[in-house]
Amino acid sequence: MAKRRSGAWLDRQFTRLAVLPTTVTMLCVFGLPLLFSAYLSFQGWSAAQGLFAGKFVGLDNFDDLLHDPDFIGSLGITFLYTAVTVTAELAIGLGIALLLNIDLPAIAVFRTCLVIPMMITPVVASACWKLLLDPGHGVINYWIGEHIVWLGRTDTALAAVAVVAVWQNAPYVSVLLLAGLRSLPHEPVEAARIDGASVWQMFWHITLPLLRPYLMVALLLRTIFEFRAFDNIYVMTGGGPANATMTLSMFTYLASFVRFDMSLGAAASWSMLAMSMLLCGFFIVTIRRRDTSA
Amino acid sequence: MSALNYVGSKRGKLVFAGSVYAALAALTVAFLFPLVWVLGLSLKTRLQVFADPPLFVWSPTLENYATVLQRSDFVQAFVNSMVVSTGAVTLSLCVGVPAAYAIARFPFRGRTFLFFGLLAMRMLPPIAVLLPMYILFSKLGLTTTRFSVILAYTTFSLPLVVWIMRGFFEDLPRELEESAWVDGASRQAAFVHVVLPLIRPGLVAASILCLQLAWNDFLFAAVLTNNNSRTLPVLMAAFTGGDSGTDWGGMTASGVLVILPVIIFSFAAQRHLVAGLSSGAVKG
Repeated sequence: MAKRRSGAWLDRQFTRLAVLPTTVTMLCVFGLPLLFSAYLSFQGWSAAQGLFAGKFVGLDNFDDLLHDPDFIGSLGITFLYTAVTVTAELAIGLGIALLLNIDLPAIAVFRTCLVIPMMITPVVASACWKLLLDPGHGVINYWIGEHIVWLGRTDTALAAVAVVAVWQNAPYVSVLLLAGLRSLPHEPVEAARIDGASVWQMFWHITLPLLRPYLMVALLLRTIFEFRAFDNIYVMTGGGPANATMTLSMFTYLASFVRFDMSLGAAASWSMLAMSMLLCGFFIVTIRRRDTSA
Repeated sequence: MSALNYVGSKRGKLVFAGSVYAALAALTVAFLFPLVWVLGLSLKTRLQVFADPPLFVWSPTLENYATVLQRSDFVQAFVNSMVVSTGAVTLSLCVGVPAAYAIARFPFRGRTFLFFGLLAMRMLPPIAVLLPMYILFSKLGLTTTRFSVILAYTTFSLPLVVWIMRGFFEDLPRELEESAWVDGASRQAAFVHVVLPLIRPGLVAASILCLQLAWNDFLFAAVLTNNNSRTLPVLMAAFTGGDSGTDWGGMTASGVLVILPVIIFSFAAQRHLVAGLSSGAVKG
């Protein structure tokens, strides 16, 4: 009897109980830390102190941040890096997706091969490229017959770390876009073909506009994920040479865990969060507006 | 399906097919070369690795793999990676699957809050959560434990589980549970005995995608572990630190051993890749 009663109570509370663990986990590993770092960003605090033993310093940490040439530099580098990698990933990914969408025998073999780079552990991928780009024994320098210190020169280091990101993520974009291409309606292309449109016209005026929602999703996801670039930079350059690859993630990491300036790290964290939220908001509004107007 | 077809003369068709294959072959070579080259390095002796000009033909040796597998730090990191990844997947499934079901089926207060919370977890940069997480964990004495890494991994695996599973639950016809309810089953009984067995493919897909993310993570593990609890990516980064060392054979062999499992289980989940990749952005 007691068992049945508890069963009925469970039944009534089912939804609440089902979402409770997720809500609690979310608050513990995400909500509370974010609140704490928001609090910390207005405090002068060091790891030796108790959690709430810091001193209120107002906006001093953000002021320090804005007067830190490394941080200001990392803003520009992060935006440049994100813009370049995302553009390249979308262009190459779209190219691959269009090729893989052509109806020919054995095309699936290429699809299988081309998605491998995106599955690889980023740290391992970066380590591989570090060997390929090695100045003395790397196969790339051997081919071009020169002795370029790719990761040690301020004018090539950012490009070198970007190549790894593009290599890993262009396949990711192609998988997304190929799914999009496969789901497009058949009729508009057929109609255009009957009307005698060229391949280029069909692509530019029909396929591309129809694919737009998928391109937007790929753009959103890649921008969000390149904005936080860390693994390849940590492994290949550590932010150097002379801060040439110092992205915001790298800056925040160094401030927090190498210089142990926790307050500055918290301020940098929240600056990144604010920028990511703006990015997300911008994309979500753009995607929604398209959806409703179409 | 709107796969493109070439319409025209037979000769034109052959030329078209030939150029498509040529382009794809060139791309495949370009994308796979770095991996093939590194695989080659892992099968060379120390002398062969640094041969000048580089060797393109040689008799392969497995000695680098033998050496790596005898290293206790590598084996320890492998075990840590397995524990942490499976732990994160198990925790995220236990916590996230009921929530995904509730979100897919029942209206409740706080649904939007939960929704945006999970979206934020997936979208916001992990480095920004890591600092406060590290401070709070160290005050609780959790840092350097594998459990702290498992907890940290829920920041990305929990949203992924909820999103993927929600899609699977929504695709399941409602009538199945409704008939169970009519027969007197409670919601939890219908969930456990009727719904869960039917969405096993979804559980498999979600686990594999989470496993992949957890296995590949470097940032959380780098900050939250020490020499005893570090995972494979952290060990790999230590191998390559500084001027990348001179033991290229050992480094590449361990790299291959790190990526082998993830490539295998990624292919196992290939059908579900798209759902996982775009989770949160397409449906939402």
